Amino acid sequence: MERRRVDRVLVIGLDCATPQFVFGPERFDLPNLHELMRRGCWGRLESCHPPITVPAWSVMTAGKDPGTLGFYGFRNRRDYSYDPMVTANATAVRDERVWDILSRNGKKVVVLGVPQTYPPNPVNGWLVSGFLAPDTRSDYAYPKSLKREIEAAAGEYVIDVKDFRTDDKDGLLERLYALMANRFAIARFLIEQKPWDFFMMVEMGLDRLHHGFWKFCANDHPMFQPGNPYENVIRDFYRSVDREVGGLLDVVGDETAILVVSDHGAKSMRGGICVNQWLVNNGLLTLHDRLDGPKRIEDCHIDWAKTSVWSSGGYYARMFFNVKGREPQGVIPPDEYEAFRDQLAEAIKAMPDHNGEPLRNRVVRPQEVYRAVNGVAPDLIVYFGDLAWRAVGPVGFENIYTFENDTGPDDANHDCYGIFIMDDRVERGGREVQNLHLMDVAPTILDLLGVEIPEDMQGKVITGI
Amino acid sequence: MQKGVSIRLSGAGVPETAAALRGRLIELGRCVECVDAQMAARLGGGKAAGYTCNLLTRNGVIVIVAAPGVDVEGESIECEVAVHDTPDFAAEKILDALAEQGFIAIETGAYSAEEEEQIRQRLADLGYIE
Repeated sequence: MERRRVDRVLVIGLDCATPQFVFGPERFDLPNLHELMRRGCWGRLESCHPPITVPAWSVMTAGKDPGTLGFYGFRNRRDYSYDPMVTANATAVRDERVWDILSRNGKKVVVLGVPQTYPPNPVNGWLVSGFLAPDTRSDYAYPKSLKREIEAAAGEYVIDVKDFRTDDKDGLLERLYALMANRFAIARFLIEQKPWDFFMMVEMGLDRLHHGFWKFCANDHPMFQPGNPYENVIRDFYRSVDREVGGLLDVVGDETAILVVSDHGAKSMRGGICVNQWLVNNGLLTLHDRLDGPKRIEDCHIDWAKTSVWSSGGYYARMFFNVKGREPQGVIPPDEYEAFRDQLAEAIKAMPDHNGEPLRNRVVRPQEVYRAVNGVAPDLIVYFGDLAWRAVGPVGFENIYTFENDTGPDDANHDCYGIFIMDDRVERGGREVQNLHLMDVAPTILDLLGVEIPEDMQGKVITGI
Repeated sequence: MQKGVSIRLSGAGVPETAAALRGRLIELGRCVECVDAQMAARLGGGKAAGYTCNLLTRNGVIVIVAAPGVDVEGESIECEVAVHDTPDFAAEKILDALAEQGFIAIETGAYSAEEEEQIRQRLADLGYIE
C-alpha cells in the first residue's frame, strides 16, 4: 500500500486512554477520533514491562525497551546499596528520543507535557516539561523565554491536578477539566505560533480520571452502583477530550499526519496485595521493628542478614533480592540465584486471593523481556492478579489482602494495552492493525518525516498494511 | 581563573545565535563580549581586532566573534550555525562543545533533596508508588 512522506507529524498522547472506550463494542461516541480511525489505521498498542507512565513514554519516544534505557519505573535504585530510590527524571534518559533525532536532522520540534522531560533538554524548537517538574517556579520550559509566552497566552501552566487524594469528587472533576483545558490551550497556542515539523503533546487527565472515578463508571468494578451521580463521568470526559482533539485538527492542515497514542490502558482494581507483608509472613523479609500498625517499608529497619527479598509497591511490584557479593549484606549465594528466583516465582504464581481462588499473578524476569538490562533492574516484576490488584508496599498488616488504598481512593489499575490511531493522509479505510508495540511509534514518526531510523531502535515502522 | 575562548561563528543566523549564546553564557555566570562587524571595525579589524580578542580571552572572557575577517589569536573554536537550527538550539550546541573542551560547566539538572521529596510525595499521592 502507498506510503507517503508528510510535511509534519502531530502526536496527541492521551495517557492511559484505554482501548475498550475508544475501539471496543462499548466504545464512547468520539467523532473526531473515529474519523481519524475511519481514514487511517488503528489498533491496540502493547505497552512495555511495566505498563506505567515512566518508563512507557520514553520507551515509545526512544523506540527502546526499559532494560535498554535503564529504568523500570518512576523511582529506581541508583546502585546495589540499600539507599533510597531516586526519581528517574529527564536526566536518567541517556538515549535520544524522537525529538532529539529530529532536532539533529534539522527538523523543528515542539514537545508539550511529555512525561520524563523535566528538566528540559535543548531541542531545535520548544519544549514544555511534564509533571515531574517540581512546580511552576522551576525552569520547566526550553528556551526559558517560552515560560513567559505560555503564561501570557494560557495563564499559569497546570503541571498536574492538585489534591488528587480526595473524597471531594466534584472538586477533583473540576480540576481535571481545568488540567485538560489548560493543556489543549497551550497546545493550540504553540501549534499556531511556532514553526514546527513535529509536535507532540501528552494530556494526563484521562489517567487521573480513571484512577479517581473508575468504580463509579465501570460496571465490572466490585463497588460499582448503577445510577450513582458519577456514572457517566468517564464517558463525558472522553467526549470532551475528543472535542479538544477536533479543535487541534482544525488548525493543523491536511499535510500533517496525525497520531493518537496512549502508553497503557486501564482496568478495574479489585484490591491490594501487601507484598512486603507477604514476604515477612514467608520468612523472606525480616524487620528489627515491632509493628503496631502499617508502616512504610522505607521507614523500617530491615534486618538485612535475615532478608532475602524486599519489594517496592505501586500498580505493580518490583522485587529486589539480597545477593551475596552484590548487596552489602547479601545472603543469597550467587550460584543459587536462579533456583531461588524460580522458586519464588512459583510461590507468587500459586498465591490465592482472599476467597482462596487463584490470583493468576504474572511474574516477569527482566532478562527474558529486555534486549539489555542496564541500571539496577528488579529481580522480578510482579503483576498481581494480572494487574487486577495493586502492590501495597507497607508492612504491619494482619491480612495481606486490603481493599482500602492506604494513600486514599484508587479504583483502577493499568492494563497492558493502550491505543494507536494513525491518519497519515493515505486513505486506509479504517484498517485495524495487529501486533503494535510502544516501540513502533518512534520509527514510524521518523519514517513519515523521511529521517533515517537509528539501527538500535527496536520497533518497526507501522505502515497500516 | 576561568578559561577564556573566542568563538568564531559562521553560517546561518549568526547575529541571532550570538545573542542567544551571550544570554546563556551570562546565565552560567561567565563574562562575555560580542564582536560584531561594527565592533570589529572600531577595533581596527583583522589582526588588531584579533589581538583585542586575545587580550580578553587571556583574562577569562568568552568572546563571541560574529564578524568575518577577524584574525583571532589565542584560544578559539569554530562553530558553524546550521540553517535549520533555531538560535537557541544552535547556542546550546555551542555550549555543549564548550563544556566538552572544558571552557564551561553545565549543571546536571538533578533534583535538590527538597525537590526529590516533593516529587516522591506527588508520585505517592497519585498512586504510582507506595
